[in-house]
Parts: sequence; structure tokens; C-alpha cells
Amino acid sequence: MAYLNLTNITKQFGDAVVVDDFNLEIEKGEFVSFLGPSGCGKTTTLRMVAGFEIPTSGTITLGGNDITDKAPNQRNVGMIFQAYALFPNMTVAQNIGFGLRIRKEPESDVKARVQEMISLINLEKHADKYPYQLSGGQQQRVALARALANRPQVLLLDEPLSALDAKIRVSLRAEIRAIQKRLGITAIFVTHDQEEALSISDRIVVMYEGRAEQVGTPFEIYNFPKTQFVANFVGSLNNADAEVVDPANGILAMDGVHLKTAEKDFSNRRKGDKVKISVRPERFSFAAEPMKDNVVDCTVENITFLGAVVRIQISIGNTRFNMDTFNNPFLELPALGASEKVMCSKEAVLVLGTA
Amino acid sequence: MNLEKRKFRFWSWAWFVLGAIYFIVPLYATLRHSLRMERDVIGFKAYVRAFEDADFWETFLLSNALAVATIIASVILIVPTAYWIRLRLPQARRITEFITLLPFVIPAIILVFGLIRTYSSPIGIPFTGIEFFQPLTTTKLGTYALITAGYMVLAMPYMYRSVDTGMRTVDIRTLTEAAQSLGAGWFTIVTQVILPNVRSALLSGALLTFAIVVGEVTLASFLGVDAFGPYLFLIGQHRAYEPAALSFVTFLLTWVAMGLIQLSTGGQGQAAGAH
Repeated sequence: MAYLNLTNITKQFGDAVVVDDFNLEIEKGEFVSFLGPSGCGKTTTLRMVAGFEIPTSGTITLGGNDITDKAPNQRNVGMIFQAYALFPNMTVAQNIGFGLRIRKEPESDVKARVQEMISLINLEKHADKYPYQLSGGQQQRVALARALANRPQVLLLDEPLSALDAKIRVSLRAEIRAIQKRLGITAIFVTHDQEEALSISDRIVVMYEGRAEQVGTPFEIYNFPKTQFVANFVGSLNNADAEVVDPANGILAMDGVHLKTAEKDFSNRRKGDKVKISVRPERFSFAAEPMKDNVVDCTVENITFLGAVVRIQISIGNTRFNMDTFNNPFLELPALGASEKVMCSKEAVLVLGTA
Repeated sequence: MNLEKRKFRFWSWAWFVLGAIYFIVPLYATLRHSLRMERDVIGFKAYVRAFEDADFWETFLLSNALAVATIIASVILIVPTAYWIRLRLPQARRITEFITLLPFVIPAIILVFGLIRTYSSPIGIPFTGIEFFQPLTTTKLGTYALITAGYMVLAMPYMYRSVDTGMRTVDIRTLTEAAQSLGAGWFTIVTQVILPNVRSALLSGALLTFAIVVGEVTLASFLGVDAFGPYLFLIGQHRAYEPAALSFVTFLLTWVAMGLIQLSTGGQGQAAGAH
């Protein structure tokens, strides 16, 4: 049995089903992200683990104990909020020691633990400051220390980086991950930012309309999306309609252009079936080896410089695709309107649904 | 741009001066009148006479004690109510606001007659002969309890609004959830997290309650409580200068209290409001 189990969790608000038969097992020390658009149920699921919402049906067990109906203050679960939620009337040290004093731990132990936590987040010079005297990043680090001070069984992070600016967000997420790894604490991180989820997680749960669309490592989620939604939500994606030509050999046609796919279940399809195909922009490249699979003619429509990446818009047949290539000072870009040959591997052509 | 700024400032100052005149002129007139007890001499005789009166101290101290009791009882009743409505029962806000506004439309005379009618006979189960309490109006303590309850009703619009406004400036829900996740129960949350963060609002409400209770006449007169309001009313009918002196002193006391509140909550208010 896993450390944290969410079994057949459903949550309804009136007639609206917000979380629908959600199942997940999380191992001790694992860092799992709930990723999805607004309203997909990720925060509600997190709040059910925290005890702020009670599931309409299903069970939650933590460390072998059923905590489904337990009050939030009986769960030993640490929570970090988007709005920091530091107590404005308390200093940094008082905020961090709050939970320990609630537990009536000896004052000497509280002081030692607070000092340890303050060192952990590198805010030794700010122990006596009030929250309003700290920056957003510092406040969130204090919130992290406060949640960890109680030695919670699981740490819940509800979009903790959303209110911060881009640079702080990147550095703080690395810091959160490093601290989580060092302490070996189990963590659930809610975000709608795919980059955040991909960079920080052991596993990602992509959620859509209250359901887990796919659960997997960042590598699996990005490279082997199981549904159209996951493929579209995580990373950029080119979508096109195609027709099955030769199911046995994985051949399909798009605007008369033949492409090959390595999809496992493709052989089960019938000739003439309409399907939706997807290719990630970075999987295209200008063809240097004409004998490879999926080498096709294209016309260069537009070129956009994005810094580290150059996005080239091409048309294959009547369908437009984006193609990404890494920028370098010696990159030779094609002229607009030029006819070129591009290629992508058969593994890059994903068949994710029926048209 | 500059011109607009200057124009804006001019009108701000104009309104400020107008407001200050409206406030200061009657106060100045009261002070001036209170200093002219002796013919052609400006002095403090009215103040000396007022303070020499033992009834003044007795009634003033009683009103202060009743004000403190009213404030404590109001905080105990209103803070958890306003907190719970903000947190769990937002749909009850309208009805609560309506109830808290009732003292504005129901005169104190109606309230006091209601209280006397209800609590001047024994409280029990009708037709059974079972009695829980003797009539409250027959004992001093009972009467004080009754008048404190009446004052709570009169001060409710001010206290509730102050507390509710204070809670609006703090993210009550998230702070509550943060405290819960750290193991805190409801009592700890209210006393250690919510109350300190609405302290400024609470003190404003307390100050208004104090001012209402100390100057209140109707409830005290009809319940037969020798409070400061009826005393002031009584000497106002018989003497010319002392009431003015006492009114001015009351104003001064209120100002001192406000200044103390500003001093004691200046940093705290900033801490609570800055996040």
C-alpha cells in the first residue's frame, strides 16, 4: 500500500461534479504535481487531502490511517498557499513557531526548531521582522519553513509561486525541490504552469474536468501523451487531420502527403479511418538525410525569433505547422517562401484520436 | 497636469477646513461658555464645581464600568459572529446587517420598555409555575445586566460594522486555513490569529461603544440606573456652566482615548494592513 492513497474520490458542489472518481497512489518522499487548467479540480483535490473539503465519496489514507473525515488540525499536513497566509501580527520567528507552540512543545525545543528552519530558508537576518517587511519570495520561504517546522507527513503546495515574478519563481521552485529532497518529505504541488510541473516533479497528474487524464513522469507526460488534451496542454503541439492508408505499416495521409507513425495500436485501425495527428514543433528538422522516414516538402511561411528558440512556420500541403529549432549565431535560416524539405521521425507522429 | 494637481489640492483643503470649522466652532463655543462662570473673568470655576460634586464621580465611574462591560460582552458576541459569517455563512450577511441596523430605526425608548416589560416579572415556563430567574429589574446586579444588554443593542451597529470592516481587510479564510493546517483549533484561531489582526477595528468599535454608553440617557433613566447620562441631563436643567464644562471634558477624554488608540495600534495596523 502506498503512503498516501486517494481512492475513488468524488467531490460534488450541488449538481456540479468537481472531482470525478479520482484515484492516485503516492509513495513516501515523492514529489507529485497536479497540473491542469483552471476549474479542473486540482485545488479541490488538494484541499480534500488537507481536510478543508470533505469528499462526497471515496477515501483518503495517509501512512495507513484513514483521514477522509478528519478535521484539518488533526491531520499533520503542512500547507502552503498562493497568498502566503503568514500571520500579519507575528514576526517571522513567531510564525514559524506557531504550530509547535500549538502542540505545546517545550519552549527550548520550539526555539531550536525555529532556528533550524530559519537557517534552512536562509533568512537568519529577518527572524524578527513582520511579514509586511519582507518581499513576496521571502514571505513564501517563511511559509515553507512554517509548514515544515511541524514535521508534517505530507506537504501541500497550492500554486505557491503564482504571485511571484518570473525570476524569483524559478529560483524558489529549485529551492523548494532541494529542501523537499533533503528532508525526504512527501509533497503535492498544484500548478497550472506546465514548465513548473515538468521541472520540479517526480510525477505529474494532468487533470481535466475533475479526472486524472494521465499520470506519469515529466518525461512520459511530455513525450508520450496519452490523450489529445495532455498533448495540447503540456508543451506546444501541431494538430492536423489525416486518413489511415496502410494500418499494418503505420502509413497515413495528410493532404495527400504520406507520413509514417510508430503508434502501437495503429494496426488496429482500418484503412480510410479519419484520425487526428499531432507533432511537437521541435520534432521537425530540415532534412539532411533524404532517405529517412517522413521527409516531406514544405514552404517556409514565417520566421519568429524567440530568443533561445527560432520558430519557423511551414506549410505541408494545406496544413500549417510550427517548427522549432535552437538558436545559434551561425544558424542559416531559409528565406520566406522558400521550398524546403523537412523531416520528423515516425515516433514523433502521434495519433491521439479519431477525427 | 500641475494645474490639475493644484486644483485638486485646493479643493481638498477647502473641504478639510469646512469640516474642521463644523467640528471646532461648537466645541469652542462650549469651552468659551464653560470658562465664563464668573462675571468678566475667564476661569475654571465651572470645572472645579463640577469635579467637587460626589455624584459626578459616582455616576461617571459607574458609566465607565458599564461601558467596559458592554465592550467585553460585545466583543465576545460580535467577533465570533462576524468571523463565522465571513467564513462559513456569507449568505447570512444581509440579514445580519439588517439586524445590526435595527437600533437606528427602533428608538431606545421602545427598547427600554420592551426590556422592562419582559424582565420585570419572573422568567419561567408559562402556566407551569416553574421559574428560572427572579425579575431582573428588582436587583441592582440584574438591572446592570439588563442595561448592559440594552447598551450592547445600541452599540451593535457601530461594533459590528467596525469588526466586519476590519475582517474585510484581512484574508480571514486563508489565515484560518493556515492556522488549521498548523494544528490550531477554533478558540486559538479566534484569539491568536483573528483578534490581533482586527485589533484596530475592534478598538474603533470599542471607542464608539464607550462614547454611546457614557452619554446614554434613556435606558439609564427608565431602568433607574444612576449613570452619567442622566446626571448630565439633570444638572443641565438646573445649572448653566457645569454641563458645558463636563461636555468639554467628555470630548477631551474621547480625544485622549482616540490618541492612545492611534499610538498603540499605529504599528500593528500597518502590520495587518500591509500584506
